[in-house]
Amino acid sequence: MHIMEGFLPAIWCIVWWIVALPFLIYGIIQLKKILSENREYLPLLGATGAFIFILSALKLPSVTGSCSHPTGTGLSAICFGPFITSVICLIVLLFQSLFLAHGGLSVLGANILSMGIVGPVAGYGIYRLLKDTSLNMYITVFVACVFADLFTYIMTSIELALAYPAEIGGYMSSFTLFFGIFAITQIPLAIVEGIVLTLVFKYIVQLKPDILITLQVFSKEKIDKARSEI
Amino acid sequence: MAKNYTLEILTVVVLALFLVGFIYTTNTMKDAEFGGSDGVGSATVAEMTGQSEDAFQPLIPQWQPPSGEIESCLFAIQATIGGIIIGLVFGYWIGQNKREKTT
Repeated sequence: MHIMEGFLPAIWCIVWWIVALPFLIYGIIQLKKILSENREYLPLLGATGAFIFILSALKLPSVTGSCSHPTGTGLSAICFGPFITSVICLIVLLFQSLFLAHGGLSVLGANILSMGIVGPVAGYGIYRLLKDTSLNMYITVFVACVFADLFTYIMTSIELALAYPAEIGGYMSSFTLFFGIFAITQIPLAIVEGIVLTLVFKYIVQLKPDILITLQVFSKEKIDKARSEI
Repeated sequence: MAKNYTLEILTVVVLALFLVGFIYTTNTMKDAEFGGSDGVGSATVAEMTGQSEDAFQPLIPQWQPPSGEIESCLFAIQATIGGIIIGLVFGYWIGQNKREKTT
């Protein structure tokens, strides 16, 4: 999902930075707030953030014959919401821009928007929709993680399509082209990411259910029921 | 009560399918390079604008890892940081649970 440094016209770099900034600022405020509320949130924040670190470093081969990486943002979005997740993504993407030449400082806003904001918002949105339904908790987590991953790449395709509309067919055909490159490659990876993060979520339920209950990630009944089935 | 391992089994199945997909692709798609999709994206941008990829200069000067080895080293460091934190947190929780049980 990284747009490479220099591959986005300056005007779009500025636009995406402006869009991303309010999310980051609100995320930092929220982060301070929840950590002053309860220090026991810190380990969970560390673990969900660490999965973003690991998964976004893994470049996995896909059936299209090219490699791409999962984002790992779903779990953090479920537990802490998309704003805090965007701050963690800022750290990861900054590391990659400075040391790995993946993305860059001018395109950082665009990359944060896709991986740190649109993906987590999509995952969080579907999680909120399914949260209080009778659907199995783990299926909700799985779907949310898959959505967070896929929408990241859909947003990257939109960003590139807006900057480079095709001569014939304009934005739409350009979007289809980039969507084909990014999103199709991503589908198998999103499924793998979804199931792995769901398994991690199961272990959190097993080890530290009270944190998930105080954060109101799922209702106490659902978590208790899941624990009785472990 | 028997332990419920449905999710673990499903994970292994999905990972196995993923692996089969990879082996199948490497054997059937001879031209598959398994380059990064980021790179493919950049190449497509270059193709669409009719410029060479070298024409896209960084807007903000950027350090490049001098070789693939150094790049993979830095990626490994990134993953290691994540791994250490996860091990620490889960260990902390397991320890916490143990202490609660004994006291």
